[in-house]
Amino acid sequence: MGLALLSLAIGLAMLRAPMSVAGTNKVAGQPEELLTGTSRSASYCQAHETLPRGSTAIRIWLDAIYGPRVSVLVTSDGRMIASGQRGAGWTGGSVTVPVRPLSQTVSGVVVCASFRLRDETIVVQGNTAPAASSAYDGGEAIGGRMWIEYLKPGELSWASLIPTVVRHMGFGRAAAGSWVVFLALALVACIAILTARLVSRELP
Amino acid sequence: MNVGILRRLPRAALTCALVACLNAACWSIVTPPFQVPDEPDHFAYVKQLAETGRLPSSDSEQTSSEELDVLRALHYGRVRQQPQTRAIATRAEQDELERALASTPRVVGSAAAGVAQPQPPLYYALEAIPYRLAQSGTVLDRLALMRLVSCLFAGITALFVFLFIRETLPGTPWAWTVGGLSIALAPLLGLMSGAVNPDALLFAVSAAVFFCLARAFRRGLSPRRAAAIGAITAIGLVTKLNFIGLVPGIVLGLLVLTIRAARASGRSAFAALALALGIAFSPVMLYAAINALSGHAPLGIVPAGASQSLHHALAEIDYIWQLYLPRLPGTVGDFPGLSSTRQIWFDGYVGLYGWLDTPFPGWVDGLALIPAAAIALLCGRALFLGRSALRSRAAELAVYAAICLGLMVLIGITSYRSFPARSAEYGQVRYLLPLVAVLGAALALAARGAGRRWGPAAGALIVVVFLGQDVLSQLQVVARYYG
Repeated sequence: MGLALLSLAIGLAMLRAPMSVAGTNKVAGQPEELLTGTSRSASYCQAHETLPRGSTAIRIWLDAIYGPRVSVLVTSDGRMIASGQRGAGWTGGSVTVPVRPLSQTVSGVVVCASFRLRDETIVVQGNTAPAASSAYDGGEAIGGRMWIEYLKPGELSWASLIPTVVRHMGFGRAAAGSWVVFLALALVACIAILTARLVSRELP
Repeated sequence: MNVGILRRLPRAALTCALVACLNAACWSIVTPPFQVPDEPDHFAYVKQLAETGRLPSSDSEQTSSEELDVLRALHYGRVRQQPQTRAIATRAEQDELERALASTPRVVGSAAAGVAQPQPPLYYALEAIPYRLAQSGTVLDRLALMRLVSCLFAGITALFVFLFIRETLPGTPWAWTVGGLSIALAPLLGLMSGAVNPDALLFAVSAAVFFCLARAFRRGLSPRRAAAIGAITAIGLVTKLNFIGLVPGIVLGLLVLTIRAARASGRSAFAALALALGIAFSPVMLYAAINALSGHAPLGIVPAGASQSLHHALAEIDYIWQLYLPRLPGTVGDFPGLSSTRQIWFDGYVGLYGWLDTPFPGWVDGLALIPAAAIALLCGRALFLGRSALRSRAAELAVYAAICLGLMVLIGITSYRSFPARSAEYGQVRYLLPLVAVLGAALALAARGAGRRWGPAAGALIVVVFLGQDVLSQLQVVARYYG
């Protein structure tokens, strides 16, 4: 029964669509630059952004080991049109904040990412830009535009992406090829069978 | 281990070991090359040792050009800690990688080994065997074979966890399987043992120490058992510096066992203690002497941490407390807005993979609180019902607690060295996995806490929860790198 529930959970997960990037200010092929770092509370705002219709999350390229709570506020002509929060404890080179999706795309918005900080260092990543178009903290330009990505659920489910994932998994290995996926599946099957047999024998 | 010993082991224990090996092997396939904490540095250490017979001399991350070329072709820097960036995914990128693998000139050794440089050499010496066997292949061939050898350590870990539970809960044979199998399926054990990282051997050695101590507490400290504890301690000390955190607890255990044995056998018990300590510390003395002669700190990073801790003792104690538990009233919060217990340790255990850049969605961490609370309640019930037995084993439990505390304090001291620039650099659950035997025993105890009638069913449910976490974690990693 446990294994059946697990299979059901996996099946349901496969029916969901992965998040895809609906819009971004990243320039393809351009590496990220470290724009600024801070060890104090800050509110980085960036104008001339476009919030695509249906965006359910905004990913901001802030880097931290254990990041603080981050609030994102999107305003258009001074009016708040979307907001969200991500609790403390995120880690890595970006933080993804969920927001309520809008029914239409809005251009010319200002996106602000705010956090309270005492000691941890947060680094802002993006590309250098003139002061006029740069992101700013308290009216002071930080020397570039931070990378922002707007995410929404993709159109294809994980199940329909299986052939693509299988092909990708075959790359970047000692012996390239999709066979590694079938080897991994065979190992998982062996683990499940051994576990089920041991449990049924030892835990009657 | 000879065939006779293997035959005496319960079949269930061997099955747990096999499951752990297979699980780690699966993780080694799912995780892209070098996308596990510090794997490039550990690879460089093995390369240096296998090709030159010498230890690395620099902690620079500029390892050999042979390795760096492959890392570049794998887009390592762009993928690491950037969860929105996938591993290489096109034929053109694969062709570029194959060109890099074929054309990169062979460079002998790697004097630089990044963060791995101060570590003792045992794990790397063992990994030098598969490295040499695959020497004619590419960097990725060597890495794949080394990862498979690491997988064997996952099996040894699960085996010793099973045997530890057998010694500590001898009256409930079915519960041994619950603890052993759950640990065999623990995703973090699979991730770390499916990579080139001395943690894999450290987990196995630590589980072996717990088993040997439990056996000695149950059967008495004979010279043979004392020698075994000493030998495993020695192996641990030349495996990874983190093992030093376990040593005070092990020494306490030896002292308690000696005092007990002395009541029955007199002075010969002290001979066993001397034997254990002599064996345990002789390789350390040798290693420290070699380090001192070659101009390194005798015990790597530990003395530096200790000297800093004396300087800022109170602030450091407060920091270590807050690294694991909510801050006490009247103290300054070192982790503002962060619940270290929940967000660093619990959420980190539920799922944080790759270069600590692949978590589950936040709601999964919340959902995981339900089975965790149920397990904690059942474990508490078992402890309450068995409180009279606990009292009679208080010294043994104190020894296990001292081992746990020693490791946690060491992690805290090491983490404090980079504070406040980095709030919890070593706040990673993998550093607590040397205590996995205690987790296994707690899971077995939880199953027993459900009572005679429901215990096996609760145990089966715990195993299924761990299997589910393992499979879903691997799918999460697949989605992150190949989706």
